[in-house]
Amino acid sequence: MQANEFFEVAGIPLLLFVVLVYYGVRLWMVKDVTIVRGKNKPPVKDETMYAKWASALILFLAFAALIMAFLLFINAYAALGEFVGATLIMGFLWRRMDQKYGG
Amino acid sequence: MAKINRKKINDFLINNGVIIVMFVLVIYTGFTSDNFFTSNNLMNILMNISARLVIALGIAGCVITAGCDLSAGRMIGFGGCIAGTLLQKMDYSNKFFPDMEPLNPLLAMVIVMLICAFFGTITGFFIAYLSVPPFIATLAMMEIVYGISMIYTKATPLGGYVKAYTDIGSGKFLGINYLIWIAIIVAAITWFIFNMTRHGKYMYAIGGNTQAAEVAGVPVKLTLILIYMKAAAMYGLAGFMLGAKSGGASVQLGYGYEMEAIAACTIGGVSVTGGRGRVSSAVIGVTVFELLKVALQYLGVDANAQYIAIGIVIFVAISLDIRKYIARK
Repeated sequence: MQANEFFEVAGIPLLLFVVLVYYGVRLWMVKDVTIVRGKNKPPVKDETMYAKWASALILFLAFAALIMAFLLFINAYAALGEFVGATLIMGFLWRRMDQKYGG
Repeated sequence: MAKINRKKINDFLINNGVIIVMFVLVIYTGFTSDNFFTSNNLMNILMNISARLVIALGIAGCVITAGCDLSAGRMIGFGGCIAGTLLQKMDYSNKFFPDMEPLNPLLAMVIVMLICAFFGTITGFFIAYLSVPPFIATLAMMEIVYGISMIYTKATPLGGYVKAYTDIGSGKFLGINYLIWIAIIVAAITWFIFNMTRHGKYMYAIGGNTQAAEVAGVPVKLTLILIYMKAAAMYGLAGFMLGAKSGGASVQLGYGYEMEAIAACTIGGVSVTGGRGRVSSAVIGVTVFELLKVALQYLGVDANAQYIAIGIVIFVAISLDIRKYIARK
């Protein structure tokens, strides 16, 4: 398989992986929750824990995107199912995290 | 007095610097190129603007609430592919649904918009009820829609559209292309929603201060869902328009359009920090952005260098927007 063909199929999931890893690692390092919350939202109850969990969830979604990129070459249904599942898990865990540590 | 006037002029130049520079560039291109100021070229530019304006108006709603929608590009591709599969000729050899009669283009358009709106509703739910940041929720939706498009089309390009569909991309009413009419109608409806409805006022309130809006009784969650639903329906419509214009579609249709739309909104004056922006902002932004691209092509600027120029414009526009935000604070 040529690089062009590879990136035509897996380019978007890989791009998503890179973007999410960037945000996840940045949040983990600088512990600045405004990176994901924006400046208009109220301050969080526990900034350290919020940043820790938020970055973990973003990295979780990033790896789900990476797995999807490779699954697309094996079975597109499996790739989609894997990512939808990961997104749902991330969404509900995010809600719990926001209720526990958010504003 | 003179000092105040000078300050006003300075502010005007800084706030509209990008637009002024681009306007000068367009005038320069017009006078140095033979075919730039021709009716044909103008019509071509307007046709290119039409689909992009629809996308920008969708994104503008999200940006006004201090959000963003990165799923727009994939949603456009998805919309274009759905429209394509529903509007292929019966005698086309690679017909996607071989036994299905092509639908009425208007019905297909409504179906495309409803399907995209459904996905937009899910995005809105994630943002409003699960408190997932808009850029993560829309990135995830971008990926999901991309996966669904791949499965739906089996990654094959679509073509062989019925004449009634391609006529939307080439036909005219009162000498103006149908695509331009669609964009004008969408802009008018959006203007009405932004300025004349309660939903529009809620949208600005959320963008200005979400907490204050919530305390004031604004149904923040429902409004956010409606904004993302409406935006996705517009992306579907844009996909339908682009399919009609090009006579074909693939999952790659609309790639990168979301970034261009966000940039166009910012150039026009929709604030990325939320609470500010009008329909005219999106119109100005998209027009200026499209004129810049055409002017660079006319000036013979290398295709790769054009990306650099556009990137610089986006960077400057967003920097000026942040400057305005800090000045307001």
